[in-house]
Amino acid sequence: MVQLRPRASRTPASAEAMVDEGPPASEEEAEHGLLLGQPSSGAAAEPLEEDEEGDDEFDDEAPEELTFASAQVEAREEERRVWETVRRDKTLLKEKRKRREELFIEQKKRKLLPDTILEKLATASQTDIKKSPGKLKEVNLQKKNEECEKGSGSKKVKVQKVQSISQNKSYVALRLKDQDLRDSRQQAAQAFIHNSLYGPGTNRTTVNKFLSLANKRLPVKKAAAQFLNNAWGTQKKQNAKKFKRRWMIRRMKTPKK
Amino acid sequence: MAAAERGAARPTGDNRTSRRRRRRREHCLRTSGLEPGALPGQSMRARAHVWPGRREAGAARGMGEFKVHRVRFFNYVPSGIRCVAYNNQSNRLAVSRTDGTVEIYNLSANYFQEKFFPGHESRATEALCWAAGQRLFSAGLNGEIIEYDLQALNIKYAVDAFGGPIWSMTTNPSGSQLLVGCEDGSVKLFQITPDKIQFERNFDRQKRSTIHKMIVDRQYMGVSKRKCIVWAVAFLSDGTVISADSAGKVQFWDSATGTLVKSHLITNADVQSIAVADQEDSFVVGTAEGTVFHFQLVPVTSNSNEKQWVRTKPFQHHTHDVRAVAHSPTALISGGTDTHLVIRPLMEKVEVKNYDAALRKITFPHRRLISCSKKRQLLLFQFAHHLELWRLGSTVATGKNGDTLPLSKNADHLLHLKTKGPENIICSSISPCGSWIAYSTASRFFLCRLNYEHDNISLKRVSKMPAFLRSALQILFSEDSTKLFVASNQGSLHVMQLVEGSFKHLHAFQPLSGTVEAMCLLAVSPDGNWLAASGTSAGVHVYNVKQLKLHCTVPAYNFPVTALAIAPSTNNLVIAHSDQQVFEYSIPDKQYTEWSRAVQKQGFHHLWLQRDTPITHISFHPKRPMHILLHDAYMFCIIDKSLPLPSDKTLLYNPLPPMNESDVVRRRTAHAFKISKIYKPLLFLDLLDERTLVAVERPLDDIIAQLPPPIKKKKFGT
Repeated sequence: MVQLRPRASRTPASAEAMVDEGPPASEEEAEHGLLLGQPSSGAAAEPLEEDEEGDDEFDDEAPEELTFASAQVEAREEERRVWETVRRDKTLLKEKRKRREELFIEQKKRKLLPDTILEKLATASQTDIKKSPGKLKEVNLQKKNEECEKGSGSKKVKVQKVQSISQNKSYVALRLKDQDLRDSRQQAAQAFIHNSLYGPGTNRTTVNKFLSLANKRLPVKKAAAQFLNNAWGTQKKQNAKKFKRRWMIRRMKTPKK
Repeated sequence: MAAAERGAARPTGDNRTSRRRRRRREHCLRTSGLEPGALPGQSMRARAHVWPGRREAGAARGMGEFKVHRVRFFNYVPSGIRCVAYNNQSNRLAVSRTDGTVEIYNLSANYFQEKFFPGHESRATEALCWAAGQRLFSAGLNGEIIEYDLQALNIKYAVDAFGGPIWSMTTNPSGSQLLVGCEDGSVKLFQITPDKIQFERNFDRQKRSTIHKMIVDRQYMGVSKRKCIVWAVAFLSDGTVISADSAGKVQFWDSATGTLVKSHLITNADVQSIAVADQEDSFVVGTAEGTVFHFQLVPVTSNSNEKQWVRTKPFQHHTHDVRAVAHSPTALISGGTDTHLVIRPLMEKVEVKNYDAALRKITFPHRRLISCSKKRQLLLFQFAHHLELWRLGSTVATGKNGDTLPLSKNADHLLHLKTKGPENIICSSISPCGSWIAYSTASRFFLCRLNYEHDNISLKRVSKMPAFLRSALQILFSEDSTKLFVASNQGSLHVMQLVEGSFKHLHAFQPLSGTVEAMCLLAVSPDGNWLAASGTSAGVHVYNVKQLKLHCTVPAYNFPVTALAIAPSTNNLVIAHSDQQVFEYSIPDKQYTEWSRAVQKQGFHHLWLQRDTPITHISFHPKRPMHILLHDAYMFCIIDKSLPLPSDKTLLYNPLPPMNESDVVRRRTAHAFKISKIYKPLLFLDLLDERTLVAVERPLDDIIAQLPPPIKKKKFGT
């Protein structure tokens, strides 16, 4: 957007000046057109200023003669400069992003288990997918067996060995993805049972009502089994207690008259 | 009161007036809301409070007067029963609960719970079955098949079936193969090898004809307002399929044609479980209302060959859903959400009609869940995932026999100790001085030190436990709190010395020959010299702690031991068995005592032998060596060895002889067993000092009030 600068009062441009701007006007327009892509107010207004100044100071002289070629060269150089700055910016950004990603990868790697274990697990899972279900279970069973045995074997061995950092001696590795899936299925199954037993549509009643049925039909009617509801108004009771305590303290503090 | 005036034996349960007055007092206290120590939002705790001591007058013969701390703030709620499996060869019952605990009851040893496997949070057992060779398998919603090791009392292994949650499991008639029904619709066949199980085949849904007895998971059938869920299915060998569904129907289908043969609508609620007898002439179903129905195959007319299934007997022993039933040759077994295990012998199948053929209802645990520190008057309560430490209240008032004394200082909840991890606590104990707490789960052992400053308490855990001490079946501290005895589940017995902030392992007694029959029980003598350990088929072993070697072994008895204790000065070992026999064995002399021989010769009173619940704790009076105090769930008894033994004709529950009888007659009718049924149901009773008793009760109503909601029953007029 071209900034509106307070223009110096200029003498109404003579018709000649206006008209004479014809051929050089084309070059200026060419510049103008190019430079409009990167609106910098200075650049867009510059030629006008120059012209004006030129007009103001050197009213008598003819305007500067700019050949088409030089103007073109200048324009191209401008363009090239601008393009280069843009390219530099882009490369800078790219490098920054690259560095950041590398940093993230490093951090992630630090969190993971050492490569060897991951490889082991990965190969185990791959063989799972490939082999048939029957063998699959055997492999897994075997693997778990091995690990269990190694785990328990280490325990039977002397106490010091448990603290050694050797890989397959003191723990059993599980893939968390499998565990999550298993948990969610178990939760779903339990929710199904709970819903079908105690969910909506079942004819359930509270234990209090159940035990009080007998009381209602006795010749001498008795109260319900849980007559008092001790959970009623707990917040109110707590507030009352706190207020009482504060009031007592305040009472103690003020001197007795 | 009147009893004291007459100088008779302690007032017993037939003192009705005092009982009525007591109940009215209870009622008043409850309704006016004057409950000491009531916590907002915890209604059960508010109702259960420490009752001030009751003075009890004893017999003129020096039974003594005691102040009794009546404790009701142990908020014990057992978990509901989920599966039940009966083993015919050994007459044992495996019961699995909703928290994952599996208990084994020996039905021929007076229905005693001899073994148990602690629960785990992620284990949601759906099926339990016995295989050949006394092997126990369970399968659950976590997709794993678990085998239990009945000798080492731990889990042998867990095999993942890779089919998602497992809904049902059964074995073939010979017990060599295992069938499992999974969530993804497949039925998998496993071969049972001597060490493990091995996957054999995968069945699709269609190939069901090759399988004999199969119990299949849920199916959706016929849409009424709400989808009807088939809870249980049984397949008989003549091709009939019996299904029990949530609409309250028991339906008979013909598997060859796939058609419905007969339908019985037995209830409005769900029918949740089916169990068929071995001979396939009767089966039992359990409903959500708590009713158990017995169906029998009965000839149509008296001399025809044609038979039909007829619903014969209903039994209403439960208040909540009956989720598991089993059919033994002579009895119907049922268990459900209301946590009772009910065994109902069928009269037509029982040969000898004596007291054994009566209904058995097992509600309270057969082991001790409470330990007591006598010096500091502390009680340690063991729950599934935490421990609670309470200090008893105190009173300065005095009163006459039968009075309720007001508390000057209320009971204090000192500590709430949560375990890490999903496993249940197996056993726990507090030292007599109150400075050490030890407890164990299936994989870890914890030892903590307590420090008391004025009224504050601080806990510090001893961090490095030895590697061989993984899980313990029983923990016991010595009387002077310097030694800790741990029975580990590998069979060995460890002795540790406790020093200032840590411990030192002294010795490990290795397991001796003999199979593991029951959970290990330990007892230590008050002078610290002797240690007794039971649980194997070889009998009770007695070790010399000072010399760290085996001293002697009490001869084996064919019923498991339920309680064990060593008397203070005489060092007599008192053993109670599950058939209600009590033996006294002298450790220094290595033989049974005279009194014990006399009792065995005469035999116990028949009412004593007919008691339902086992004796769970034995203790002694420090100043009276002739007294033995023992209790079970519904009575406590002081045995006075100086008095004559009752014969079968005398009344066991000591009556109060009428006033006009002479002294001679009174002396003649009094006998050694002083029984009181005032405090029941008792979970724990012990002597704190010479004049104080502590009785921990757990009323059944308090347990029922915390159970899940039952089915609504409509009664006319309400």
